[in-house]
Order: sequence, then structure tokens, then C-alpha cells
Amino acid sequence: MTTPAVELVGIGKRFGAVVANDGVDLTLRRGSVHAVMGENGAGKSTLMSILYGLYRPDTGHILRDGRRVEFASPLDAIAERLGMVHQHFKLFDSMTVAENVVLGQEPRRSGRLRRSLLDRAAASARVTELAGRYGLAVDPGARVGTLPAGARQRVEILKALHREAEVLILDEPTAVLTPGEVRSLFAVIRRAADDGATVVLVTHKIHEVLDVSDEVTVLRDGVVTAHVRTADTTAAALVTAMTGRDVVPAQNTGRGEPGEPVLEVEHLAVSDGERTLVGDVSLTVRRGEIVGIAGVSGNGQHDLVATLLGTHRAAAGSIRIAGVDVTDASVRERRALGVAAIPEDRRGEGTAITMSVAENLALGHHRTPPIGASSGRRRGLLSGRAMRARAQELIADFDIRTASEQLPVGSLSGGNAQKLVVARELAHEAPLLIAEQPTQGVDIGAIEAIHRRLIGYRDDGHGVLLVSHEISELLALADRILVMLGGRVVAEFARSDATPENIGAAMSGADQAVRA
Amino acid sequence: MSTVDAAPKPPLFRAAVRHPAVVPVGAVLVAVLIGAVIMVASGIDPVRAYTGVVEGALATDNLDYTLSVFGLILGMAIVFAIPLRMGEYNLGGNGQLVLGGITAAAVGLYAPLPCALLVVAAVLAGAVAAGLFAAISAPLSERLGIPVIISTLLLSPIAVAFGSYLVRFRMTDTGSGVSQTPRLPDAAHLGTLGDLRYANVGLVLVLLVLVVFWLVDSRTAVGFELRTLGANRRFGAYGGVHIGRLNLGAMAAAGAVAGVVGAVMVLSPPYRFIDGALTAPGYTFAGVAAALLAGGRPLLLPLTVAVFTILQVGGAGMERDADVPRQLSEVLQAVVIIVLALRTVVEARRARTGRATT
Ligand SMILES: Nc1ncnc2c1ncn2[C@@H]1O[C@H](COP(=O)(O)OP(=O)(O)OP(=O)(O)O)[C@@H](O)[C@H]1O
Ligand SMILES: [Mg+2]
Repeated sequence: MTTPAVELVGIGKRFGAVVANDGVDLTLRRGSVHAVMGENGAGKSTLMSILYGLYRPDTGHILRDGRRVEFASPLDAIAERLGMVHQHFKLFDSMTVAENVVLGQEPRRSGRLRRSLLDRAAASARVTELAGRYGLAVDPGARVGTLPAGARQRVEILKALHREAEVLILDEPTAVLTPGEVRSLFAVIRRAADDGATVVLVTHKIHEVLDVSDEVTVLRDGVVTAHVRTADTTAAALVTAMTGRDVVPAQNTGRGEPGEPVLEVEHLAVSDGERTLVGDVSLTVRRGEIVGIAGVSGNGQHDLVATLLGTHRAAAGSIRIAGVDVTDASVRERRALGVAAIPEDRRGEGTAITMSVAENLALGHHRTPPIGASSGRRRGLLSGRAMRARAQELIADFDIRTASEQLPVGSLSGGNAQKLVVARELAHEAPLLIAEQPTQGVDIGAIEAIHRRLIGYRDDGHGVLLVSHEISELLALADRILVMLGGRVVAEFARSDATPENIGAAMSGADQAVRA
Repeated sequence: MSTVDAAPKPPLFRAAVRHPAVVPVGAVLVAVLIGAVIMVASGIDPVRAYTGVVEGALATDNLDYTLSVFGLILGMAIVFAIPLRMGEYNLGGNGQLVLGGITAAAVGLYAPLPCALLVVAAVLAGAVAAGLFAAISAPLSERLGIPVIISTLLLSPIAVAFGSYLVRFRMTDTGSGVSQTPRLPDAAHLGTLGDLRYANVGLVLVLLVLVVFWLVDSRTAVGFELRTLGANRRFGAYGGVHIGRLNLGAMAAAGAVAGVVGAVMVLSPPYRFIDGALTAPGYTFAGVAAALLAGGRPLLLPLTVAVFTILQVGGAGMERDADVPRQLSEVLQAVVIIVLALRTVVEARRARTGRATT
């Protein structure tokens, strides 16, 4: 057998009292796709960071083509032809695709004086050539800031390919992608592997693993619990290896009678000054129902919900929450009236990674008992003890894995940070919950737990507006599904009529001609 | 290789390393070492020089003066630290200081108030004037998008010039040839502390302000919101924090503290507003450096301010005792700031790489 491209041998890593990796072996064969799975906090990102030279292992070592190597920083890993695509893209928004791709290894112009200048034409040609070779659709001249998540990720992959990476590390690349984007990503991965590249793919989605990988390694509590060829395994076996039990999918069964409306939107329009982001949207969410919004990302869903919460301004139309017109109200007024929101951008908007878990769980609850007080002698004061007590309750209730509520949120694994956001917002018991991609980055067990909570939340008489890339998630939870395309609501389905096919058709606009 | 650095660190050690006081103390130690290297290189005995600094600042005879300077730098450190909590940089300390001082002088000279009230009125008026002035930066930033760091920097010379104008042409002590106000009446003099000559009630006032700052920062909803904005502004906005109002409040509070410091300086010997005398000693930027070194944390401020006070006051003692030019103490202050800046770079790099993924 040929020497593997990379071997991780006996890798151990601890953070304080937490053992993130414990004697992990991982063998990556040339020309294959190796999936890494495991529950939130199992140690996947830590392992990938060690492989890419971001962390140094406490024990164990790395072999590259059979040679022992040591990575003091990602630069060493890049020199060994490793490339990593992070879940949080590390791109410069104001620069073009081509500039981002070549940054760090730019083609220079010739001539003494002009050698310090970037050769734009060569950069552009290089990007076009790479993009063509791997079937990555991007416009080299576009500004990265204007691109949707899927395109940004392609830029990240191009960047790794430009540096001639032979080993591609992808940490949860699909968490923020729509199904169509996932399909094209997998086509690229397969092509790269067939060309001889080695791909490591971290994901929580079993069907993706079964689709695209050749081998699977499962981690649990920092230890390898399974290593199999994908062809020899089943979804059920993988779930058991990850969780040690079976997971029964939550399903929205039955529904109560929807009560009075908690959200009424009429002819809402949102624009960024140049383009119309949302045009003439009207919708209603009642108590006791979950209304889903489907759509390819970038079709106005995010701008719509940001306007409902009040972080964006409406250009026209009206919004009523619990019967009160809030079109011009501040975020705080709206929250006081009864909105809670799980935002799409967990890092940029949903948490402050340098603040503690307890403080992150307190924002929005800090002016009401028990943490704060809205009236009386203690008005405006804050109780640190109540803050910590409340955090401990939510940590236990939502199974947020952290060594202490005093640690910064940045030390949490991605899925656990997501659980924190969900816990904080559900704890508001607000009549209206806006949930954007509520299960992004969480493991299958936690997905089911969050789904059950959302259904329970509805059964308690609250209204939920659910925005999701996952049609399966919408089908499992929503009582009604609206489809957005180009900033407008183009279709509505009752749950009984909704199928992946007709929702998918409406999302792509394929049914427009028929209905027009 | 990998097994070499394998020894897991005990938790106590980790907790100690993570303590917020580590960075400032470390920066100062590094600066002291670099300073020693510079001195050796220029043929000066570092031990004698440092002894000179410490004795110059802390010898029993000088302690009184050092304490009064400590109070003033601490005040100006708070001026910078309050907006720093929400991630804004107030570089207008000088203007706010001067405006507070000149207002206090005007009240002290012209307000027809009885003795006990006059001092209080002068300090309050200084606080209000400087607070209102500093608050202008908040709407400029919220409405017009002019960053606070820019507007404070640009507005500051205007206030300083306004103070100069008043003292030269409107409030001048005609008897002397110097640009200064007449001596304030006895009723407008700050109370003394025992038989100390320099440190007076002003020091107590600044310490009270520090306690209030600490309580607000750690025990109130507003303090929590300030820190949240400082950590992630978008997170705060999403959580319903009124950024505009907090900015206004933080800038007004910072300005008011600067006004108090200005008033304290004018209501202390020689009991005059002298053109340039408030800004010349450089308390404002010593305060900025101390606040940055402490990361704006109220409880660390006294520590970092003490360092800069010792360097500032001790410089003179060093010159006298060790025959080391006092400029060397400025070099030391600069080295502390450079070490601090380096630490920011290192932290930014660590933030980029340390926890890169989920
Ligand atoms: N910088 C850090 N400081 C302290 N603890 C950390 C740090 N990084 C990771 N951990 C801990 O190590 C464990 C493994 O985290 P890791 O991010 O590798 O999990 P993961 O498998 O990627 O999970 P997820 O699926 O949620 O992304 C977690 O318990 C986490 O809290
Ligand atoms: Mg992870």
C-alpha cells in the first residue's frame, strides 16, 4: 500500500481541564475524501486546527508522506501543501475575488520598479484558469463583500488551490450553504480527489458523508470511536458511534388552532439605498403556529427578519407585533413587546466571543428580574450572582458543554455556541420567535432537541417564524411554508401540500412560468 | 518535538496567566528591562537611575506631591477609560480639561455665592461645561458618522484656544504681565488634607469618581451594555442596546470627569487659571497610556496610573540623584506604550489563528 498523504498519530490536546483530543489517529489517503464526524465538542475542530498548525498538540505527531513534520504555524502547513477552508471566512470584503485569491502569493509585474506591483491581469487569468479546471463558478472581478456565502466559500477553496494545496481541510463547509450550493461544492471535492488531492471534511450531516466520502472517522469526547469505509457503513451505525444511542427525528405532529396574530407585516419593502432587498412582502404569524420561510440564500430572507427585529429599517410598509405598530420602534421596544431572535450570523451578531458564557446568556435579560430590575429600588442594577445562577440553569437545560459559565464564549465549540444562542432567546418566552438557521453547526442529537423545543414552544401558544436553508427542517417543523425569491414571497404551501419538489421548484423560480 | 511541551499546565497557573493584571504588569517589566538596556548602552548605571526614579517619586518628602499628580493622572485616565469600555477613543481630554478649568475659574471669580457653596458650584460648573462639550461627539458620530476619535481630537484645540482667549483678553489679571486670571478668593480654594501641601480634597474627589466608575461598570445594566458594545457592537445592537444614548452618556460622563480634574487644578495652588498650565504637564496623555495599559478596567487603573506617575515625577529625582537626563523617563514611558502596542498586534494575530474554526 502506498504511504498515506498525512497521518496523525496519537494526537492529544487539552485546554485546562478539558481533554479535547485524546490519542487520536487519523490516516488520510491520497485521492480520497475522509469525513470526520462527532457530536458538538467532540474535538473535530481542535484536531483540524492541529493538522493545520494553528494549535500545537500536547502529545503525538504528524507524518506527511511518511516524513515527520512539525507545524509551528499555518505557514509551515501551507509549505507542506496543506490548505484549510474555515467556517468563518477569512476574506477581505472590499477586495476583488482575484485579489483575495492571490493574496500572500501574488504574481508580480516585471521590471525593477514595477516589481512591487500586483499583476492584476495575471491574477485574474490565474483565477479563471483554476476556476475552470475545478468547475468553480466565480467572477474574478467581483468584490467579495457582495457575494453570497456559497461564492465566498469557493473563493476560499480557490485560495487554497492557488497555493497548490494537495490536502484540503474543510471544517463544516456546508453549515451555511443551501442544498444547491452543497451539491456544487461536492462536485468540486470529488473532482479534486480524482485529481489526486486529499480532502478532510468535517460535517454533522450523515447524508453528506454517505454521498461524498470514501472513509469516515467518528470522534466522541476526544477519542476515535469508529473508523470505517463509507461503503461498509450505514446511517444508523454512524449515529450510534457518535452518540452511543439512537436518535428519533422530531416531527411536527398535529397542530393546535392558531390564535390571534403576533406578527402582521404589510407591504414591507427594504432597500440598501441602491437595490431593493425586500419588495412588498405581506405575511402573518399567529400564536400556535410555525411559519417557515424557504429560499436560496440572498433572496431577502435575512433582510426581512433583520427589519422585523429592527436592526434594519423599513423603506415602506408596516410591521405590527402583538397588535402594536412597531415600524419605527427601536430593537429594545420591539423586544419588550415580545420578539426574540436567533440570528443567522452567530459570531458577528449572536455572541461576543470575548465575553463570558454567563454574560452572553444575560444580554436582553439584564434589565428584568432576576438578573436586573425594571422598577423599584434595584432598577438599573445587575446581580452577578443571579446572572451566574441563570447561566448554570440554561447550561444544564440545553446541554451546553463548557467547563464553566465564566469562560469566554470563544472557547466553546461551534455547536455549543449555537446552543447558547438558542437557549438565551427561547428563555425570553417571547410571543414571537424569529429563528434563522436555528440548528446550524449543531450535531444530530442537538438538532432533534432544538426541533422538539421549537415545536413545544409553538404548542405553548407562541408564534415562530423559521428561516432555513434545509427544506427537510422546514418540512419537519413548519405549519405553513412561504418561499422567497428576489426579495418577494412567491409561493405559499400548507404543510400538507408541501413537498421537497414543489418547494425546490418555487425557490428556483421554475414554477413561475406555470403559475403566471 | 510534540512531546517536549506536553506537560499539562496546572489550572492555578492557567488562571493566574489569564488574570487581567498580567498584561500591564508584564508590559511594565519588559519596559523596565528595555530601559535598563538603553541605559547600559549609553553608559548609565541602571540601578542608580531606577533608584533615583523611585526615590524621586516615593521619598517621604516627595510623596505629597506625587500623590497629587497621581490623582490628576488617575482622573484623566478615567476620562479616557469610560468611552474605551464601549470601544470609543476620547482623545479630547485636553480641551475638556481646559474648559472645565476655565469655567471653574469664572465661577470662583464672579459668582456671588457664600463660602461653602462656591467651591462646590465651581467644580460642578466645570463638570457640566466640559461634559456638555464632550457630549457633542456622540451625535456627530451617530448622525453624521464622524468617528469619536476624530471629532474629539479636532474639537479639543478649539476649547483650548477658547480658554486661552478668555484668560488673555477677558479674565486677565491686569497687574501681572503673565496670561493668568486673578487669584481666586479664599472661598473658592479646595480644602486641604491635614498638613499636606499638594494633595488635597481633589484627590479624594477623583478616588470617589473611580469608585463610582467601578460600581457602574461592574454592577449596573448600563455598565454591562457598555462592555457589550466594546466587545461586539453588532451583538449589542441586536440585543436592544441603545448605542446612541450610551455613547452620549459615556462621552458626557468622560467630559464631566475631565471638567472636575480641570476644576481641581484651578482650585488648588496657585489658585489661578494660567494659560497652558493645565495641559503642559501632559497628564492627559499619561492618562490615555495608563487607561490603555489597563484595558479600561477600573480596578487596574490605580496600578497603571501609579506606574506613569512614578515615571513622570521620578524623572526629576533621577536627574538630580543619578545625573540621568529626565528625558530618559519619557523614553521609558514611550517604551511602555510600544510594548503595549506590540501586545495588541500579538493579540490580533492570536485572535486570527487561535480559535479559527468551530
Ligand atoms: N481555546 C479553547 N479554550 C478552552 N477550551 C477549548 C478551546 N477550544 C476548544 N475547547 C474545548 O475543547 C472541546 C472540543 O472543541 P472543538 O471545537 O474541537 O469541538 P468540535 O468537535 O469542533 O465541536 P462542534 O461540532 O460543536 O464544532 C470543547 O469542549 C471545547 O469547549
Ligand atoms: Mg467545530
